[in-house]
Amino acid sequence: MRIHPFVYGFLVLGVFFGTILGFQRAGIWSTSGKITASGDQVQPSATDVDTIKGWMTLEQITTTYQVPFQELITQFELPADTAPSTPIKDLESDTFSVTNLRTWLQIRLQPVNPVPPGDSSPLPAPQGTPTPANTDQVIPDPTAHVSTARTITGKTTLQELLDWGVPENAIQSVLGSELPALGTPIKDFVTGKGQEFSPIKTKLQALVDATN
Amino acid sequence: MAVQSRPAPVTPGTVKPHLRGVKTLLTHQTFRRVSQLGFAVFIAFLAIQHVVIGENGPVVTASPEAFCPFGGLETLYKYLTSGGTFVSHTHLSNVVLLVAVLAVALLLRSAFCGWICPLGFLQDLVSNLSHVLQKRLPGLRRSMTSLKKRGARLAVLDRYLRYLKYLVLAWTVGGSAYFGFMVFRDYDPWSALLNLGEFSFTPGMIVLGITLVASFFIERPWCRYACPLGAASGLLGKVSPTYLKREESACTSCKICTKACPMGIEVHTAKTIRSADCITCLECVGSCPRNGALEVKFGLPILGK
Repeated sequence: MRIHPFVYGFLVLGVFFGTILGFQRAGIWSTSGKITASGDQVQPSATDVDTIKGWMTLEQITTTYQVPFQELITQFELPADTAPSTPIKDLESDTFSVTNLRTWLQIRLQPVNPVPPGDSSPLPAPQGTPTPANTDQVIPDPTAHVSTARTITGKTTLQELLDWGVPENAIQSVLGSELPALGTPIKDFVTGKGQEFSPIKTKLQALVDATN
Repeated sequence: MAVQSRPAPVTPGTVKPHLRGVKTLLTHQTFRRVSQLGFAVFIAFLAIQHVVIGENGPVVTASPEAFCPFGGLETLYKYLTSGGTFVSHTHLSNVVLLVAVLAVALLLRSAFCGWICPLGFLQDLVSNLSHVLQKRLPGLRRSMTSLKKRGARLAVLDRYLRYLKYLVLAWTVGGSAYFGFMVFRDYDPWSALLNLGEFSFTPGMIVLGITLVASFFIERPWCRYACPLGAASGLLGKVSPTYLKREESACTSCKICTKACPMGIEVHTAKTIRSADCITCLECVGSCPRNGALEVKFGLPILGK
């Protein structure tokens, strides 16, 4: 059967757009991790701290997890003039990151078990700054770094590490493999291998600090 | 009252009428260019909007990378094996676009490359500029002719280099599945172009530069030798019921079709064009001076029907 070139062109566009529209009608479409298929903004889940993303704002966190804004500022030593609309990733530092925030909120979410009256076993000493809400909870200890300019975040690339003077073999030793393309964000590379970013970040940060 | 009779059916092999005036624009080639331009403008709009509004603006703006079907191919393994999560920089839209491209390939061959892909359009623009300059500048034309004569010896190399895109396809899909991130992104000229506004310099910028410079001398170099999406689309297109048929009785083997083909396929010697490299731009059909010598057919190319 012969197809006229014009008809062929319409068929190409029809099949292409028809497929896309079909998926969109079925709700299978999203162009951003920030919005759902229906166009609503993705919100963190009040029961699952892993749903917290770097682009989410402090306001979203305080609302969802019912944390006083000032407590968040104090806990993570954030600048006092921080706006509630600031995304988490823009505030990443030695003391504040998505991982730290998740850990802290996870502990806050856990129910407080009252100590039985006759129990004489000593309580473990708190390892961090207690919060007013849960004074018997273990708070992640902020690291001892003082540098803020050379802080590894989720966006830091391997090239930046090298630029900061960290030797290539030292990075390889921490990552446990050959270096991929230098423009690759470290976080993408590490999580892509199925590893946790946080411990590797700590080790790499120690290397960065050692170069100062 | 004048009775308007239906035009008589054209006889295969007769010379097509010469188009004049506005009619020269009412062709499928113009339609194709409008389609390509539309997509290129849409992607440019997304890229500019994303840079201007930024990630922390009052509205969520989609990254132009969210509209790249190849991102869907790179994230497909993770999407299928991890219950709906994606590798970084990809979203559900990438997977949907990939399905749309593959649906087009399955039914209508690699028409996405010829009618929609903005990177292909960009290469076409550079090649067209080269043709225009060669017409205006005799010195350049002579140099290019001389270069092509010398380059003819490398024709055999062209044949083998075309397999390179399948290696790129295997590397990008396999690498993304194994490492869990887009191993190709840093080398991808399209990604480099989209991120131009964010001043991120990657090896992809060099690949983009080489592609555009090479487009001045050879048509669609990226599509011919390295595009992994074109490789996937071309392979699937091999089972498509759509094909091009050359009617030997109507053809005079003038080679105009072969010269018009941006992918360098020898159209004038084939009975049916089933090459995985064919992007069905239909430049060969449009350039053919004979009625019925070269046509788009829908059926089983093996049976020739």
